[in-house]
Amino acid sequence: MTVLTSQSTPQRTISIRSPAIRIVIACIAFAALLAAPIVLPTYFVEIGFKLLIYIVLAEAWNLLAGYGGLVSLGTSSFFGLGAYVTVGLINQAGAGPLQALAASALAGTAVAIVMSRGLFRLRGLYFTVGTLALAEALRLFVINVPWFGGATGLFVTVDLPEIAALFRYATLLLALAALVMALATGSRFSVLLRAVRDDEDAASQVGVRAFRIKLAAFIVASALIASAGGLQAIKLGAIEPYGSFGLQWSVDPLAIVIIGGLGMRFGAMVGAVFFVAIGELLADYPELHVAITGVTLILLIRFAPRGICGLAEAALRRRGAAPQEAHP
Amino acid sequence: MPALDVILNALISGVLLGGMLALTALGLSIILGVMRLVNLAHGEFLVAGAYAGLFLLQWTGIDPLAGLALIGLVLALIGYPIHRFLLVPLAGKGPEASMMTMFGLSIILQNLFILLFSADTRAIDRSYATVPLELGPISVPQIFVIGFVISVVLIVAVHLLIARSRFGRDLRASADQPQAAAMIGINVSRVHAFTFCLGAACAGIGGTLIGVALSFTPTSGASYLLTDFAVIVLGGLGNVLGTLVGGIVLGVLQSIGGLTLGDGYRDLVGLVLFLAMLSVRPQGFLGHRA
Repeated sequence: MTVLTSQSTPQRTISIRSPAIRIVIACIAFAALLAAPIVLPTYFVEIGFKLLIYIVLAEAWNLLAGYGGLVSLGTSSFFGLGAYVTVGLINQAGAGPLQALAASALAGTAVAIVMSRGLFRLRGLYFTVGTLALAEALRLFVINVPWFGGATGLFVTVDLPEIAALFRYATLLLALAALVMALATGSRFSVLLRAVRDDEDAASQVGVRAFRIKLAAFIVASALIASAGGLQAIKLGAIEPYGSFGLQWSVDPLAIVIIGGLGMRFGAMVGAVFFVAIGELLADYPELHVAITGVTLILLIRFAPRGICGLAEAALRRRGAAPQEAHP
Repeated sequence: MPALDVILNALISGVLLGGMLALTALGLSIILGVMRLVNLAHGEFLVAGAYAGLFLLQWTGIDPLAGLALIGLVLALIGYPIHRFLLVPLAGKGPEASMMTMFGLSIILQNLFILLFSADTRAIDRSYATVPLELGPISVPQIFVIGFVISVVLIVAVHLLIARSRFGRDLRASADQPQAAAMIGINVSRVHAFTFCLGAACAGIGGTLIGVALSFTPTSGASYLLTDFAVIVLGGLGNVLGTLVGGIVLGVLQSIGGLTLGDGYRDLVGLVLFLAMLSVRPQGFLGHRA
């Protein structure tokens, strides 16, 4: 990950520097989001819900890959896990949506801890392949083991919440993700995490506990992804292995973050808006949409490895630096 | 407990199918071993080979087995520009950049296959795919035997190429110490280009065999990619003959899994084995090389 992200130290490019002002702005933004379903037409609430879910997934993936160097193709394992835990608890134990989502986050944490032993022994590319195998193994497990409704899947047997309520749950989840990301990327932890990303051996030699640092990032990301999966399952009302463990849930967050900017603080958000917009434009041609995503990925990796945010930052810096002495 | 001849049959088909799996994994293995590239589009190369066999038969009537060399050549010719225009410019940008590029290519190809050839499940329809070869109580489709023989011959040929030839010496040098190899006058980028084309050709030929013996869809690639990784892990990376052993072991274990747990568990057995192998070998499967 070194090369893709070597310059991607989070930069404070926004002129609002005071933390108090940032917190106020963030609170206003979330209050506006909570109120949004009252005024927006249903279509936009639906799109908004999708956008929120994608931002949460992408934030989690960015924490792993952008800040931690853990390029995962296993997002769908935790997404599907969350979906099955949520639906199972709602159906079998009569849990409310919030309890079920919290339980999914716990399940994500548990699986992350169990799998970390094996996965973290794999460095770099091998970690990626391991996560891909984990996702496929979980999907085959759910298809074949009889408790999960096989390839047909499960239905939510209670009444589903309205889209406005789901949108608010998603907003809360995003607020949680934003808070976690602010803590994880603005603290000492982020320095340690990036040290591990850039050179794990060197970091270990100066006393960074690489395993714990990676595990912390992995747990946080997995819990967020599992909750997002649970929320998506409640929205659909029915889950099946090919959908919930589908490769798309691993591909989309990756694509969003690379489009937005890997390891950039606003990469997930910018990328998700771009991705969902393209998705809506090409809603009638899903195959074409995925193929275009692939082309975009290849082009960005080659010509703009720091994504849209990287391009924007470079442009801002050029303009800002022009009057003074241009720095190299 | 199934009857003895059922077990025997399952084991023998496992060995034969495993040989074919080994051929499909060979391309992934040499590209990973020499170029340090996780070719996430490997599965799509396999599927491309299967489609090539299918259309060769439909359009020209040439039997896919007779056209294997041609299919390999086509895949190598497809591989060359991919290496030249997608991978070479990323040299020196770290392994993730190339891997992600191949991932982008994989989702492009997968969806192109769906758009061009529809999402239908296909199989290359040949009589030797269904007619069994019988020997006492044992009865396996002829293609399993033919495919196994072709796979073993090709794997041994690639092994000899790498272990004995002058080019193979350059290749091993480039894999072990790319900079030192370049310093003593080996054209490492040419070796990489050749390796990539050879890998693509092996994948295409393996894909055609799989397309005759089993069936395929535009999205089969992903599961073959993982199966092939399991083969490489079992056989040891960079070890061509080990790939053959890994393939056969995996084929047999899958057969046993299918027999004892049900057919749906075949692939799961492979994946669990793969994940287990990864966690018990601390350095991952690059172990002896890293």
